[in-house]
Amino acid sequence: MENKLKRYEKIEFLGEGQFATVYKARDVELDTIVAVKKIKIGTRQEADDGINRTALREIKLLQELHHKNLIGLLDVFGHMSNVSLVFDFMDTDLEVIIKDNTIILTTGNIKSYILQTLQGLEYLHLNWILHRDLKPNNLLVNAAGVLKIGDFGLAKLYGSPNRINTHQVVTRWYRAPELLYGAKQYGTCIDMWAVGCILAELLLRVPLFPGDSDLDQLTKIFSVFGNPTEETWPGVKQLSDYIDFKPLPSIPLKNIFTAAGDDLLDLIEAMLVLNPTKRKEASECLQMPFFSNKPAPTLGSKLPLPKSIRTIRDLEKPSLKRKLLDSAEGGTLSKRLLF
Amino acid sequence: MDDFTCPRCRTSKFQNPSLKMMVNVCGHGLCESCVDLLFLKGSGSCPECKIPLRRNNFRVQLFEDATVEKEVDIRKRVLRDFNKKEEDFTTLKEYNDYLEEVESIIFNLTNNIDVVNTNKRIEQYKRDNKEQIMKNKGKLGRDEYELEEILELEKQMEEQRKAQQAKEESAKKLPQRATKFSTGIQIGRQSNTTFLPVPIDEGPLYTYKPISLPVDGPKPPTTEEIVSRGFINHVRTETEQERAGGFKSIIACSRALQDAMSGLFHSKKSSSVH
Repeated sequence: MENKLKRYEKIEFLGEGQFATVYKARDVELDTIVAVKKIKIGTRQEADDGINRTALREIKLLQELHHKNLIGLLDVFGHMSNVSLVFDFMDTDLEVIIKDNTIILTTGNIKSYILQTLQGLEYLHLNWILHRDLKPNNLLVNAAGVLKIGDFGLAKLYGSPNRINTHQVVTRWYRAPELLYGAKQYGTCIDMWAVGCILAELLLRVPLFPGDSDLDQLTKIFSVFGNPTEETWPGVKQLSDYIDFKPLPSIPLKNIFTAAGDDLLDLIEAMLVLNPTKRKEASECLQMPFFSNKPAPTLGSKLPLPKSIRTIRDLEKPSLKRKLLDSAEGGTLSKRLLF
Repeated sequence: MDDFTCPRCRTSKFQNPSLKMMVNVCGHGLCESCVDLLFLKGSGSCPECKIPLRRNNFRVQLFEDATVEKEVDIRKRVLRDFNKKEEDFTTLKEYNDYLEEVESIIFNLTNNIDVVNTNKRIEQYKRDNKEQIMKNKGKLGRDEYELEEILELEKQMEEQRKAQQAKEESAKKLPQRATKFSTGIQIGRQSNTTFLPVPIDEGPLYTYKPISLPVDGPKPPTTEEIVSRGFINHVRTETEQERAGGFKSIIACSRALQDAMSGLFHSKKSSSVH
């Protein structure tokens, strides 16, 4: 254990969450940059329970998962009563990219981000795991433009018929309607709804359904898709928290996503379906024409990233910046003569 | 300052931060809402000293001490009549005596000393100096006169500065005109912040490649086979509620079969990991 403590040199403090503090660190042995997530002990009661539950979930699941679009758990080490998890270092997340209004997201960019998300999710679902907390903030992006799904603190195995799950999962804005209605048994469809909301947010640059309470969340959803009925969603009235809403008409998605093409609208429509059994799975979505159609998904190295990350990258490759600037300014920078 | 309490409704500044204390000539405070309530008809009496009061004489209390407020009120009223200026007296002593008298009248009225006689004195003074009072009302004192002069000067300076500013601005604007159409549309690039061009070159188009789980065992049946070969019959069918939540018994069946099949074969690769 002692050598593990020495193996990771703390570089800087990155952030603090409810359960952990995250540091940027250098792996001395491999000379790579990593993120070290130090799990908080929390309250006395939690300490008595042993290891923090979210940390346990992350360790348990991530140790067996290896995919380029899932955050890699590189190492776990303990010191005193603390547990630290070592992850791939990621420069930014999708929330930062969506909120940065100097970034323009083209269809190719959005396709690339969603494609990577769905590929990661397909692998996850194939392994019988639900992420249960998908949101832009948990989709991490590194300087090479690779998107990785992170934060497995709420992830859980699914597919057992007798296990009761809680419906109080997923950040409210990305929570699927069946969860809001209190479904105790659910499947991969809850993650698909969240991806649909994220795709919409990439297009609109604001959250699609920013509800400020569970009830308000349902109102916002139904104001777009209309009320569910027994015909469109069989058994909806059986759900434990079902409430009748006054009938709302549905709006065509074309009116909301005015700039989206037909193949993109088809994808959104496939993911944002009120009835969870009608919602398409990750692998089904990946086979939709949107992904194989032109424009091709942007290569990772060409994906737009926030300025702070780009400048670091450009310092390494000054020629690229000059080229880009030249074409932008109409050749204001003097060019070197090439013979 | 914080322990202001309205004597009528007992509301304090702590309970209602927007509480406004009002005061009338009698010097007894009342909060704004009480004033509105009691003086609906325009006049009424003070709840403490029963003096008849008028609604429009209530003012927002500026000073913490109500007697100060009262004095300010009285001073205002008295000085309306005792409006002689220094220029009206031949010697400084006479002027000082006059000021002394005014102060004693104000003090008496504020502290309720000999009110009847003091009021008589005021009436007497009013009758004696009726003409002078009228005359002085329209006349400005020396101090006021000086103040007026300063204000006038300030105004002039302000105008001068504005004119100068306008001149500078118009001078600055001139060269810009060349880059602008009459419609206000600008010609040429105005700022340095342009967006980088969107890269046109793209990567290869995406084609879907199905992924599968390594099972290290016999191939588990596909979804179709689960139904056609009757596996599904051995699993409890989902309830309506479960179906509405997006759960199907085929999921459970498929997972159970996969769990059962996986790891049945011994392979070198997996054994070398452990």
